[in-house]
Amino acid sequence: MSAAALLEEPRAETRHLWDALRDVLDPEIPISLVDLGLIYDIALDDGTALVACTFTASACPCIEFIKMDIEERLLQEPDVTRVVVQEVWNPPWTREMVTPEGRKKLKEFGVAL
Amino acid sequence: MAQFTDEELKEKVHDGFIVEYPEEMTEGYKKALIVQLLVQADTELISAPAYFGAARDAPSTNTMVSATAIIQDELAHANIAYRLLEDLGMEKEHLLYGRQPHEFKHPYGFDQPLENWAELVVANGFFDRAGITLLGDVYKNTSYGPLKRALVKVDQEETFHLRHGEMWMKRLCAAGGEAKEKVQSAVDWMFPMAIEWFGLPDDRKRHSGQLEYKLKGLTNDQLRQTWMDATVPLCERLGLDAPAHYDEEREEYVLDFPFPCQYDPDEKRWLFDEGQISWDDVFARWKARGPMNKSYVETLQEGRAFRDLLVAA
Repeated sequence: MSAAALLEEPRAETRHLWDALRDVLDPEIPISLVDLGLIYDIALDDGTALVACTFTASACPCIEFIKMDIEERLLQEPDVTRVVVQEVWNPPWTREMVTPEGRKKLKEFGVAL
Repeated sequence: MAQFTDEELKEKVHDGFIVEYPEEMTEGYKKALIVQLLVQADTELISAPAYFGAARDAPSTNTMVSATAIIQDELAHANIAYRLLEDLGMEKEHLLYGRQPHEFKHPYGFDQPLENWAELVVANGFFDRAGITLLGDVYKNTSYGPLKRALVKVDQEETFHLRHGEMWMKRLCAAGGEAKEKVQSAVDWMFPMAIEWFGLPDDRKRHSGQLEYKLKGLTNDQLRQTWMDATVPLCERLGLDAPAHYDEEREEYVLDFPFPCQYDPDEKRWLFDEGQISWDDVFARWKARGPMNKSYVETLQEGRAFRDLLVAA
């Protein structure tokens, strides 16, 4: 089973939140957090968006930025009043988690996976 | 024997010729390039101990990771520039461990202590912005191929430092109270410091050859305007007082303080009341170096002890 298959299939009620996070780019490379494979799950419960998200390295210098960017973007959605970002380290991120779209963009940017 | 005369080379680089090898340089070109790279390398290097002092004040572990990652980048960027200097016949070993503190060529602004988190993030917002302004111009215009290629990565990483600075300035200002006051205090001494960093105004500029050899594209005053064009609106958005404003008629930013001006490093305060001073006074202050010059360089040179042991083995 590929690592990508571990990820949750977006639920219909949170599909728009996944789409919203496609607007949020990684702070260092111009591909979205979703395409980079950092977002593991999004749940929406009574206005609270719970985002399970990982990082490419435990010492990623951008953890704080990424969390704030997620919060800022999701709060623009009318049905979101609160955002909780949960750091998840299992499964650990690997390059296989980058989506085909992400791979294409990385290639254009000059990064080979 | 150089392949070109100085005049030929100046003309060629303005026609798009890219210099790749020392054999293609004239003595004048090489000298100007060495000065430019030394300033660049030393500035990146000294920013590391300067930032380190304030990074200890980070408000969380994640934030400490961000701050130390920036320091790591700065050391790496210095390494890139010293490596380029080796191609021009300089020795990295000597440049790092063989010079006295006052011989380093970083700007006076990095001879100052950064004493708290607000000062670190304003340094990222202002000084790294100055760095991007200067190096972005070099990247766009330089006639030296190896430097242009090296700057692609440097530029990407500096953008992260800038973002770190601006995001934290925003956060501290949004918190208000003492947090915002500390940002304002940092802005008060760092804004004029960054302005001074760009050097002599164009009407007084001595010819260093950097424009003639196309080692950069914009003049000091143009670079100062570029910096203000980003920084003044940032301060306005955050509700911070910055001592400059946009003059609609002149279509440029105008300083609201006498420039150049004397600085009291002990008080971390610009002596606006004493009025304009001469650039000779500024050069004298720069030459005397700031309060942290010696300790920053000594911190970096501490590694020499173990180097000597390894060399002796």
